[in-house]
Amino acid sequence: MAEPYLVVEHLTKVYERGHVVALKDVSFEVQKGEFLVIIGLSGSGKSTLLRCINRLIEPTKGRIFIDGVEITKLSPRQMRKFRRKIGMIFQHFNLIKRATVMTNVLTGRLGYNPTWRTLLGLFPRSDRELALKNLERVGLLEKAYVRADELSGGQQQRVGIARALMQQPELLLADEPVSALDPATSHSVMQYIEQMNREDGVTVLASLHFLSLARRYGTRIIALRDGELVFDGLPEEIDDRKFKEIYGEEAEEVEVR
Amino acid sequence: MPPGYPKVYPKGKPRRMSLDAVADFFYFGFRNLRKQLSIAVLDMGAVAVLWLLMNYVIIRFSTGQIGYTLVPWWIFGVGVVEAAALWESFGRSFGHRVERLELRRTDGREPTLKQRVLYWLLWHVSVLPLFPLLLVPSPHERGSGLELRPFTMEGRVPRPWWRTSTGIYVAWLMGAALTAAISVTISWEDLVRLFTRAGTTAKFWRSFFSPDTSIILKTIRELVVTVFMAMTATSFAVLVAVPLSFLAARNLMRGVVGRFIYTVIRVTMSIIRSIEPVVWAIFFLVWVGAKLAPFAGVLALFVHSVSDLTKLYAERLESIDPGLIEAIAATGANRLQILRYAVIPQIVNPYISFTLYRWDINIRMATVVGMVGGGGIGQALFFYLTGNLWKQAGTVMLFIIALVWGIDYLSAKLRAKLA
Ligand SMILES: Nc1ncnc2c1ncn2[C@@H]1O[C@H](COP(=O)(O)OP(=O)(O)O)[C@@H](O)[C@H]1O
Ligand SMILES: [Mg+2]
Repeated sequence: MAEPYLVVEHLTKVYERGHVVALKDVSFEVQKGEFLVIIGLSGSGKSTLLRCINRLIEPTKGRIFIDGVEITKLSPRQMRKFRRKIGMIFQHFNLIKRATVMTNVLTGRLGYNPTWRTLLGLFPRSDRELALKNLERVGLLEKAYVRADELSGGQQQRVGIARALMQQPELLLADEPVSALDPATSHSVMQYIEQMNREDGVTVLASLHFLSLARRYGTRIIALRDGELVFDGLPEEIDDRKFKEIYGEEAEEVEVR
Repeated sequence: MPPGYPKVYPKGKPRRMSLDAVADFFYFGFRNLRKQLSIAVLDMGAVAVLWLLMNYVIIRFSTGQIGYTLVPWWIFGVGVVEAAALWESFGRSFGHRVERLELRRTDGREPTLKQRVLYWLLWHVSVLPLFPLLLVPSPHERGSGLELRPFTMEGRVPRPWWRTSTGIYVAWLMGAALTAAISVTISWEDLVRLFTRAGTTAKFWRSFFSPDTSIILKTIRELVVTVFMAMTATSFAVLVAVPLSFLAARNLMRGVVGRFIYTVIRVTMSIIRSIEPVVWAIFFLVWVGAKLAPFAGVLALFVHSVSDLTKLYAERLESIDPGLIEAIAATGANRLQILRYAVIPQIVNPYISFTLYRWDINIRMATVVGMVGGGGIGQALFFYLTGNLWKQAGTVMLFIIALVWGIDYLSAKLRAKLA
């Protein structure tokens, strides 16, 4: 087997405030091109795990390798450079609400441009063209100069995807990308992510609430429970017993179509 | 205190003499001393305040004089101590409530009357001369077989507040304080004058409807000066308050040094803010001299605006959405870029809105500041009022009303647009 793209080794995160152990000795590997879905109840540590991978949160212990680079060793400056290769999308989209869609998408290029130019809001022509191309890809070309907060939830998440695409990422971290959306919109957004995975070869790590979505889109699933890795395998390996182990005895599976 | 260390002195035989035993003795001794003293001081204080207020009200209403006690001071002193002793021995006192302790037998049952009397008598022996309190348990506790224990609410029917002694006490206190306050500030004659002399203001009212047209130009010039004072003060205040606000935002100032700067700025600002602009105006008049009147007014408004705006701005910064910061940071942006694309978009409009609001306040304040000599329309108004020039004063006031109303309307409109 090829060298894994992402390696997480004995990752532990303790939040000082409240002494919460959000991740306990989590280890797993991801191959290039995989669509890895992270499932678990809320509070199980999914967001913490994803944010440790691009070091928006500093891990307490453990090592993380991406493409052979030990990112847990990088200086803040080196890490900023490295983040350009890691796109991220969020449950609540996290767009600049008062700015246009175009500006929002262009922020995906911040890491590639000199600071002084971006402070003045100047982006090179090539970036603007790329932005329009990516907006076209997510079907929002005609919304390019509309304020972001005038869009629907699904459209805002597509802007988020376009912003991530601007980074021309190798890895996409998606923290519950569809939890704030209705089922139909969820699928449309998930399909754009799937397209990134299939066509651009982007490795995807997505946390999802619904097992049905995880089964439909994931090539592999890992499950967290109270910060511990309790499952790592193929979607079809999750049977009733496993399900109860991950979600607790009282849980019932719900379908999202 | 190491974990697992008992809260009360261990019962039974005294431990064998050792350094530990000595340490224990002083440790529990001081603990006990603090507890007993705190209760006694709280109760005596509460009784004294109530007594003084009650006497004050009685004296004030019966004689019209200001006085605090109907009895000689030594009787007052003994009375307070006695009342506190009785309160603590026979009921649950104010001090007991604050410390969340109550009097119980060592086996946990309700004290008997005989024990309470004993406790009360021995209280004089141990609480008054303070020192014996270093003994654990104190003589009055040992002698009566009672002790102070943490409250237990078990089996107690809760009463409405007006049936609890604290409730009655606080209500009494507030009633007495309010009565005293009213009696100091308002007299019967004042009330009578309020109605019988209403006619004397007629010339005042009349002056509103017969403005002195000859001073209109001069008034407008003063009005413009006032608006300019507010503008200058607000503009310079913004320049100072914007950078300060970043240092005064709790979420941005992390770490020991950060927290220190945050605290220093916040405390300084709240002190400055708590001093009225009029006081600042007098302060600066003394400093820069009365000839430069508008300048002193501007300085006063400036200082007050800086502290006010810093607080408003910083609070806004504290409530920004951290999600956007995460999202921009995730693209590989540096600190300046995060500031430009994640922080500033969230604060621009609120900042402008606060600034307009403050400008609006400053125009009104400029008038008040002017009255003590800070220049502008206020100074003119003060001049006419003190010179009994009612007609001119009325004219000036008409202009002030128009200005304040206009600015109010304008800034509300603009702020609604920004929201
Ligand atoms: N900033 C924080 N400070 C303290 N505790 C936190 C913080 N963020 C998350 N936690 C705690 O860490 C645990 C994992 O949270 P999270 O990673 O957000 O889980 P999930 O995304 O699966 O809902 C939870 O118990 C949560 O309360
Ligand atoms: Mg989460």
